[in-house]
Amino acid sequence: MQGRLRVGCSRFFCSRRALGVALICFSVGLLNVSRAAPHIPANDADVVAELPMGARHSSAPSQALTATRLDVALPLAQFDIAQARTTGDLRFLGYAEAILQPWLTQAKVAPQVLVLNATILQSRHAFDASLTELDRALEVRPDDAQAWLTRATVLRVLGRYDAAMQSCKHMAAAADAAITTLCEQSLRGLTGHLEDAYASIASLPQRDLPPEAQAWRYSELGEMAERLGNDTAAEHWFREGLQIAPQDFYMRTACADLLLRQQRAAETLQLLSGYESMEPMLLRIAIAHEQLHDNGAASADAALSSAFMVEQQRGDSVHRREQARYLLDVSHQPEAALAAARQNWGVQREPDDILILLRAAHDAHQPQAAGPALEFVEQQGLQDVRLEPYRKAS
Amino acid sequence: MNRSTRITAFLGLLLLAAAAQAHIASNGFLVAHVEGRTVNGSYELAVRDVELAIGVDANRDGRVTWGELRAAQPQITRYLAQHLALAAQGAACDLTFQTMQINDRVDGNYAWLPFTARCPSAVSELTIRYTIMEGVDPSHRGLLTLTAGAAVQTAVLDGRTAHAAFAVFSPSKWRAFVEYLQAGVWHILSGIDHLLFLLSLLLPAVLLWRDGRWEPVTQARPALISILKVVTAFTLAHSITLTLAALDVVRLPSRLTESVIAASIIVAALNNIFPIVTDSRARIAFAFGLLHGFGFASVLSDMGLPHGARVVSLLAFNLGIEAGQLAVVLTVMPIVYGIRAGAFYRRGVMPWGSAAIALIATVWLVQRAIFPS
Repeated sequence: MQGRLRVGCSRFFCSRRALGVALICFSVGLLNVSRAAPHIPANDADVVAELPMGARHSSAPSQALTATRLDVALPLAQFDIAQARTTGDLRFLGYAEAILQPWLTQAKVAPQVLVLNATILQSRHAFDASLTELDRALEVRPDDAQAWLTRATVLRVLGRYDAAMQSCKHMAAAADAAITTLCEQSLRGLTGHLEDAYASIASLPQRDLPPEAQAWRYSELGEMAERLGNDTAAEHWFREGLQIAPQDFYMRTACADLLLRQQRAAETLQLLSGYESMEPMLLRIAIAHEQLHDNGAASADAALSSAFMVEQQRGDSVHRREQARYLLDVSHQPEAALAAARQNWGVQREPDDILILLRAAHDAHQPQAAGPALEFVEQQGLQDVRLEPYRKAS
Repeated sequence: MNRSTRITAFLGLLLLAAAAQAHIASNGFLVAHVEGRTVNGSYELAVRDVELAIGVDANRDGRVTWGELRAAQPQITRYLAQHLALAAQGAACDLTFQTMQINDRVDGNYAWLPFTARCPSAVSELTIRYTIMEGVDPSHRGLLTLTAGAAVQTAVLDGRTAHAAFAVFSPSKWRAFVEYLQAGVWHILSGIDHLLFLLSLLLPAVLLWRDGRWEPVTQARPALISILKVVTAFTLAHSITLTLAALDVVRLPSRLTESVIAASIIVAALNNIFPIVTDSRARIAFAFGLLHGFGFASVLSDMGLPHGARVVSLLAFNLGIEAGQLAVVLTVMPIVYGIRAGAFYRRGVMPWGSAAIALIATVWLVQRAIFPS
């Protein structure tokens, strides 16, 4: 049997336009960068690893329990997925996968298992596979609101707004009205009704919402304000949202991006202090150091490039957008950044994906490369002031 | 629990889709260098993953200390032996792990274990079975960097394709030929013991032993014939034993062959100072050449002969040795011929040079016979 064999670098890293990256790849990639040489710690008491909650060895009997009792397996898998969300630690998705594995191979898979698996796949950016699992779940349980909501979210990331809206409407019958509003208005905000949708979500009474919907509301409002060009309001929403949901690091990166766009590097570093182990945070930290021209840039850069190298070798595509951003804003290779941004655009179509593509095309002096994205913006009526300078330029 | 509360309990997950946040997922780093029948390399697994797979946090305080990890090395190597296997052409290699160390990577500390795998025959197709983290983290991947000579391959190993096979040597016989030819040349040029032996026999080729002293030959022809005889005898002899040993027909312990090679140099060198055999040095060359052939073969057994190109590679290695040997002879002998008549050569180089060679060889003999590595 032939293994998945790749000689040297992958196609992306060896593309003609990514020569600089190829050089990094060859110098640091092949032997899997580590920060220092292997060594023997000085003392037996030296701590070599801190184990996060839920990352302990479990005995065979407890493993057998999750394989035989769905009522044990489901909450444990949910816990692991939640851990992945709050800590940004991808390994927890693997742990959840391990719990679901025996249930996924059964002849008739329980819809709850399918929905959880879809969530894992979505988190790995395997969007099509995620949709397949959701459709399987909805075949069994057509009124599964969670499945519809997850489906709406995946379709939104893919830029399939009409289909996403259909999913929101399917959900409406069974779900909390406020959540349905969030689902629908967030889509209207991307399809030509931004001011309207912004006002609608802003008027949702905060205290009536469940805590996690509150965080969603804040980050949605922050992003909408940014797209409307109201950075002051955007920062207000993000900061307030982080008060109630400090662990929500989607919101934290969005806030960091806002500050970086305003060249407020020192405040960015303050905001992200303590989150260095998370790759997307590290990217923002590296960009902040770039803006400050200080000596923190090198170490953040080295850590990031080695993390990207490992992901590249693994064949992971989770951080495609971050890779493009890294190439553009940290290692200053606009051609390679454009190649990565185009590849990313082939998969996901959020405003940030459009923005990185437009910026890279501009910096690489290839405005025509942004054509398909601009066409998409026109078609959908997507409003985003951040895109304006690049739209005019082309 | 009603439906809407269940939704909200899940809601946070949705943000993941837009965010794509993460540390790195779980990876094991497998580095392997193939050299003949030996595979040297290292395997690395995050300490965190080691804990998850086998449980090393003995006092369950959520922190793994170096002492706890070190104490678990036997369990770790046992786990690795169960979940990582190498085979050459389908036949299992014997995998041994050495002392564990710690390697600091971007996502934390890793347990780093160097290993050596001895395979039954030279590796031309390496098969790797990799099922580490099976059952505890299906998203784990083994990231392989495989080198053989100058060729580098990388690959992703995972539990779903439990066996992955890699062609290590190109099946091209021509490539094997070139590779082994180079190895042969390199070995003779860097193998100073073989050269000193040959030189000791060749130094007197431009002289004649007459009335208790060395006199220069008057014509080139006898010198040329003498050189030709010695070189041919040496070549013939070591080719025979090299072939026999490389094809596993005859085996001699390396301590013995290495010691006798050193002794052969002493004999040849002393024979220049106190000549006993003066007109048939070709016989010495032949007799000891047999031993030198075993010495060459030990290099070849470290390299191994590639599957499917054994004869070609052996021939190439041998030709490489002869080519290297010929280059040395062609460089040294015209010079020696040119200075043969002078006192410097006859009273300086012959006795004192030979004495120096004998002395070096004596040191080797002691080292090889008494303190073998």
